Order: sequence, then structure tokens, then C-alpha cells
Amino acid sequence: MHVEHVMGTMVSFHLRLESATARPAAESALRQACEELHDADALFSTWKADSPMNRVRRGLLPQADAPAEVAEVLDLCAYVRELSGGWFDPWAMPGGVDPTGLVKGWAAEGALRALTIPQVLAASVNAGGDVAVLGRVESTRPWRIGVRHPWRQGGLACVLTVEQAVATSGDYERGCHLVDPQAGRPATRAVSATVSGPSLAIADGLATALAVGADDVLAHIAALSDYEGYVVRADGTEAWTDGMPFSE
Amino acid sequence: MKRYPIVVGVTAAGLAGVLTFHSQRPTLPLTDGRSSSASAPSGDRPAETPGPGTPTSNNPPSQGPTSTSATGAAYQYGYGQLSVRVTMTGGRITNISIAALQTADTYSQQLADQVVPTLEREVVSAQSARIDAVSGATYTSEAYAYSVQSALDKLAK
Repeated sequence: MHVEHVMGTMVSFHLRLESATARPAAESALRQACEELHDADALFSTWKADSPMNRVRRGLLPQADAPAEVAEVLDLCAYVRELSGGWFDPWAMPGGVDPTGLVKGWAAEGALRALTIPQVLAASVNAGGDVAVLGRVESTRPWRIGVRHPWRQGGLACVLTVEQAVATSGDYERGCHLVDPQAGRPATRAVSATVSGPSLAIADGLATALAVGADDVLAHIAALSDYEGYVVRADGTEAWTDGMPFSE
Repeated sequence: MKRYPIVVGVTAAGLAGVLTFHSQRPTLPLTDGRSSSASAPSGDRPAETPGPGTPTSNNPPSQGPTSTSATGAAYQYGYGQLSVRVTMTGGRITNISIAALQTADTYSQQLADQVVPTLEREVVSAQSARIDAVSGATYTSEAYAYSVQSALDKLAK
């Protein structure tokens, strides 16, 4: 169990180890995982004026000259833009291309990869609400992840059985950040949008899109075999894709 | 329904100075299964973390150098207010916890004026749901960073 302050949020880790002797290896992997998070922060932080991403956005650095991770993230963004029917569009953000809606998930996914060692039987990374897991939390059962209730403090909207990753985006999170690509200004139709699937980076981007576009985006997610979506609309009604892994 | 003003993003230049207090990155010491008072309410086992809005204790993990703490100014964002409490020991940040969080209260109030919808699978208290983690959009980064910087400024005095 470890908490790291990075990327403007708290990232928490839970590990289940193979044995007591696994600890040194696990600690080393954890340090590496945190390094990955800080490296991602240095690359992509919108608050660091000289971060490579900021310089690319401002046209001071050609994308081809930027670190390879920038291209990797932007490629993922383009992919999610396609998957979401354009509802996730970092290039539509005012001020220039802004992958913030996906970077946190991408960074957390990278951190989890660092924990994929034999000594770690199971692990979870929770980066400000974007969660990626590996293994089973206990040998007898898979990870149970609650989705924060959009308006009942301390409550949950639902509980999910998560095998890989889940990301939630919400109206109550950061109003300035969720931009409707079609309107070009902040707007959301959903107070809470959750996407689960194999990649936390993609889930993060899709959840961002889902928060903005709600039912329109849900239709796009329904067409994907490996991602599921759940949305709470502003009027309190809900919608979800057929395979959403609600835990009973 | 009256909406709260949307937070205006602070320019990158304006925030470039945020969190540049140290040459080394703040890291939190490994906690050993004890509840971490520094985790955001949306993560970790709800049974171990204090509820939102509850001030957490900030016992430094090691005895020795004196610790000082300060609570940063509350930052108004979106639907609520956030302030964080920063503890420094021997010149390093040893703890950051959420000092006060008021969110959704007033939003709930607005909803209460109408009929408060119940979600199909909702759980009133996360603690009773025996979950391993919570997925949920949390605090705006700007609010968090602002409050941390405010606390650091106080500690520097």
C-alpha cells in the first residue's frame, strides 16, 4: 500500500505479494512505478510551462522532435477520437492539443506495468479515480471497484467487477476540462461517466467523451466488443452498455 | 437549475510556479497497511480512509525532526470547496491530506428541491459495500495544487 502525490492528484497503490521475501522486489518495482508517474508528469503537465507537451502545443517544438511518449499519447488520442466518433477530441481543446483527458490513465497504466513481476500477485493503481488492476485482489475473488456517486457524498452509484481497468469522468470533477468538441466550449450531458475495458488510457479517453456526449457516445462504446460504458445523466437517469460488469 | 460557475483554467504560465518549492519531488513514505491519511477519499479501501471533509491526523511516520503543518486556503471549484493540509518534517513533505472538502452538499440541496433520484444500484455508504477501490472523478487539479501551494507558503513563513 502506497500513496504518491503526482500529476496534481494522489495515486494510490495496493499490492498483494507472493510472500514476505517478495517485499524488496516489490518495493523496487513500486519505486519504478512512481518514477514512471513522475516522468509522465514532467512530459505532459499542463502546469509546467516548459513541459514537452506544452511546447508542442504552443508550436515551439515539432512533434517529431518531442520525446517518443508524446507521439505515443497523441496516437492513442487519435485512436480514441475515432472510437468515440469525435466526442473525445484533444485537438478541439482551446489553446491547442491537450491530451489531459487520457494522460492520467496512460500514466497509471504504465505504472501498473512496472508492477508486473512474479513477486506481485495482484496490484491496483488508482490515479485520481482511474483504476487499473492486475491479478485477483484475493485468490478467491476479483477486484470490486465502486463508482463514486455523483451527488451522494460517501455513496456509490454502483459496484463493478473489474478485471483490467475502469475510468470515471464527471461533471463534478473539473468543469473547465470537459469540452464539447462540437460546441468548442465546456459542456457535459452526464454528471458521471464510467468506462471499463483492457486499457486504462483508452478507458480514460472514452470516459471523458462519455461525460460530454452521454448517449451518443454510449452508442459508440456499445459497438466496441471490449469496452463497456455507464452513464448517469444530469437528470439522474442512467444508461449502460449490455456488458457493463455490474457486481451483483 | 442554476449551475455553479465553471472553473476557468489557469494558464500554464500562471501555474508554472506552482509546486516549484523543492528541487526534489515530494514523495510520501511507504505506508505499511496502515491507513494512509494522505489518500484522496476516492481511492483505497473506504473502511481505512477518513470520510470526505474529515480532517485527518498527520502523525509523521518517524520521530526525530519536528513536523509542522499548515492548511492551505480553500479553493472554490465547480461544485465545491477543497483545502489540503500539508505536513513537513525536516524540510520534506511527509504528508498531504484533504483538510476540508465540501462538494455535492449544495448540489444535493438543489436536487432536494426537486425529487432526488435514486440510482438503480446505488449504495448509500461506500463503507458497507466491501469494495477494493473507488473510481470517480475527484478534485480539480488546479484546486488541489492551489491549496497545496498555499499551505507551503504558510509553512515557509
